[in-house]
Amino acid sequence: MEYKYIGKDAKRPSAVERITGKAIFVDDIRLPGMLYAKILYPKYAHAKILSIDTSEAEKMPGVVKVVTGKNIKHPFGDCLHDRLPMAVDKVRYIGEPVAAVIADTERHARAALSKIKVEYEPLPVYTDALDAMKKDAVLIHEHSEKYFYVTPLYKPTPGTNIAITYEIKKGDVKKGFKEADVVVEDEFNFHHMSSVAIEPHATIALHHLDGTVEIWTANVGPFAVREQVAEFFGKNISDVRVHIPHIGGCFGYKSDPGIEPLVAYIASFVPGRPVKLRLTRKEDFTSTFIGRGIRARVKVGATKDGKLTALEETLYLSTGAYADTGSNILIVAVQTSGGVYYFPNAHVKGYSVYTNTPPVGALRAYGHPEAEFAIERIMDMLARKLDMSPIELRKKNYITDGKTNVVGEKFKKSDGDLFKCTESVLEAIPPKVEVKEDENYLYGVGYAGLIKAPKAATFASKGCHIKFNVDGTVSLNMAGGDVGQGLWTVARQIAAEALKMPPEKIKVYNEIDTQYSPWEWQTVGSMFTFQGGNAIIRAANKAIDALKRNASLVLKRDPDMLEYDGEYVYDRSYPDVKVAVKDICRGYVTEDGTTIGEVVDVTSYFRLPGVQGPDPETGMGRTGGSYTMGFQGCKVKIDKRTGKVYIDHFATSIDVGKVIFPKGAEAQVLGGVLMGIGETLMEEVRFKENGEIANPDLIRYKLPRIEDLPGKQTVKFIETPDAVGPFGARGLGEHPMIGVAPAILNAIYDAIGYDFKEVPVTQDMVKKVLEEKGLTVKDKEE
Amino acid sequence: MKREIKFTLNGDPVKIEVMPNEKLLDVLRDRLGVKSPKHGCGRGECGACTVLLNGKSIRSCITLAIEVDGQEITTLEGLEKNGMTELQKSFLQHNSFQCGFCAPGMTLTATELLKKNPHPDEEEIREAIAGNLCRCTGYKNIIDAIVDVSKKG
Repeated sequence: MEYKYIGKDAKRPSAVERITGKAIFVDDIRLPGMLYAKILYPKYAHAKILSIDTSEAEKMPGVVKVVTGKNIKHPFGDCLHDRLPMAVDKVRYIGEPVAAVIADTERHARAALSKIKVEYEPLPVYTDALDAMKKDAVLIHEHSEKYFYVTPLYKPTPGTNIAITYEIKKGDVKKGFKEADVVVEDEFNFHHMSSVAIEPHATIALHHLDGTVEIWTANVGPFAVREQVAEFFGKNISDVRVHIPHIGGCFGYKSDPGIEPLVAYIASFVPGRPVKLRLTRKEDFTSTFIGRGIRARVKVGATKDGKLTALEETLYLSTGAYADTGSNILIVAVQTSGGVYYFPNAHVKGYSVYTNTPPVGALRAYGHPEAEFAIERIMDMLARKLDMSPIELRKKNYITDGKTNVVGEKFKKSDGDLFKCTESVLEAIPPKVEVKEDENYLYGVGYAGLIKAPKAATFASKGCHIKFNVDGTVSLNMAGGDVGQGLWTVARQIAAEALKMPPEKIKVYNEIDTQYSPWEWQTVGSMFTFQGGNAIIRAANKAIDALKRNASLVLKRDPDMLEYDGEYVYDRSYPDVKVAVKDICRGYVTEDGTTIGEVVDVTSYFRLPGVQGPDPETGMGRTGGSYTMGFQGCKVKIDKRTGKVYIDHFATSIDVGKVIFPKGAEAQVLGGVLMGIGETLMEEVRFKENGEIANPDLIRYKLPRIEDLPGKQTVKFIETPDAVGPFGARGLGEHPMIGVAPAILNAIYDAIGYDFKEVPVTQDMVKKVLEEKGLTVKDKEE
Repeated sequence: MKREIKFTLNGDPVKIEVMPNEKLLDVLRDRLGVKSPKHGCGRGECGACTVLLNGKSIRSCITLAIEVDGQEITTLEGLEKNGMTELQKSFLQHNSFQCGFCAPGMTLTATELLKKNPHPDEEEIREAIAGNLCRCTGYKNIIDAIVDVSKKG
């Protein structure tokens, strides 16, 4: 099908503001009478708080108030209400707020922090799920039985450190292993990392004297923030207003309510005064959400001709001090454990376990990279055992038309063509390395499939409000946070196509405000294009229908006899019988001024159709709703002297259904792959034994820099139109990160014959293996 | 304790009393309302706070305000007095930024490079912006945008 605006280059709304430094981020906002907060953190990652003495701090210059957690009445959350904005009687991680100082300046607030005296009784610290699960482990939450949970899926196991347990059972896994000629078993570990947006978290909260609350924050879930803050204070949701200015990058950790409940709590002590909290880079590491942190014990069986027969797996998420925001990551990882492969039999169990680290929350691709890392690594190991090419083994087992994933969702042709994705990657990076070794380097290639669904709440929805203006232009109001991924551009292109008018006539609103924006669950799961795009099409159709009804009054034709072309509504058989859109968008003003018809101002919503919660018995069900699949491959060269892994060429091919904004789609892959290289080769939030973070800065926590760019990147899109997506499009934003780690580790094996089973794989780790295997070369003595 | 400093900010004279340990970034953002330099790390590690001191890029988050007494400071606000620069237009054209938070620092660093060396090769470009972190783009489009400008003029 030929489209006029989608699939073409487009101007990005608000791009000029951003490139000229005029875009307003939270920290750029200064409200009259604003106060500043600084936070006191504990000395221990796990300890009872015996006493807090704030009297000296209160006397310090500029101090308005010193706040502790003693006024907190109950925990809050989304699925499992186990979170606290500030410690009450114990601390559970090193970045947990213990007290806050509110002062006239940040400087004064900071100075007063050191005057707060806290007595602690230290407790044992666990940073790994396996340690926290031991029988004699001290409980991090002593009374998890008291916590509210929305469904039994989120029920903790009291008396243990286990928060969420989730299990899926498909077919008969015992029978499956009996049918297997070959069984491979191993353990994989995906360490914690951080989202590290260049903009650290910042929030302003203001409790008005009438009891309403106003918040300015960098978060892609403004309505979730509103609901959780309202519930925490026992206020009406309608009495909490959340503004979202520009967001300086998200990558996951600005999608759940994070520091907002904390700042709202602190500000409640100074009604009428706005309070700003902006985190330092260190606090951004220690006191917001971290990501990943999953161990997977995997066992797969296959027949000797390479047909997969069974999957048995246990996953352990070290979920941190509070389990609410990590619970669905564990569930998603279990549901994604089979990757892009068809397993007739599967038994997969997952535990999310309380540990003494910052809570785990969303991070680009949310549970998928962790699970698919394990399955994509073990597929290579299985291929070796079968003496089969890893590509052939993969292709034999792809979930194709009519086959089901491990939760029993049946795939159809319109879900995408993995074979085409595979072929296009192999074209760019052939599976055989011509030169395996030269004087300086060892070479290898590796591949991995990828798959991802939004995995949102079943009721998750996006809204679109379309307002026609009397000059025929359109205002488009949505609550999707454009964190740079380009969703305002996509929204404008889809609206242009649906409303048959040039994008220049459509203005996309660029500030989200829960008071004016249509409801949207959260801008997460790479589902804005899919859901938001469909909401736009629905709203556009509604508006066009209204225009036709108005035109029918003017032209004296039945509405279904009329056509709309973006500028006019006209009689389809006599096109010169027409009326201009601009003359009927607020009703039609007749000659004597009498006005007829309706104002064209409509709102529509869209949610993924038929998504359900998992069956309580089997864990199965239509939990994904819409999948995007793809394939990635890379060629690495490894420096024999240093162990440094260079990515010579990285190729990605994703079946996105339909590319809406080509430059934006490509940019998502370029950025996503580099972020994937980061988590594979360098990025890790490292914990000391006492629970302190060893590298909470950008020197010791390595972020990919220009020097880490692949020598070459190939980006390809396959377009198998989706049955439901707008103009056939599917989600894309998070996906490019998913196959990066297993593809690189598979390539490292190809180069040096060693199976790394954890990420990141640092230069030192590779160097050690090279030395053990005698693959290093020493510089010749001069 | 406070000390009066005078400097030129985007061509205009500024006179302000500062504390001896006050950072230039905080003075610019919080006291002078110049918002384009961003606070990313506070330790000179990310480059989001980059400004030009006498035409040379510096990290304003680790520069004391008193150090710029008598000097010339340029931020994006100064470069844009006659509209968008060629570099900014090229960044737009190449889709070289996403969230935009690193963009002021990135473009100022590239501005410094192009002033010193109007036709740098790709290696020189990579070297010049190596200290500016961007989490969104994967850098490739940034390099392309600068290469494009370097070929003109």
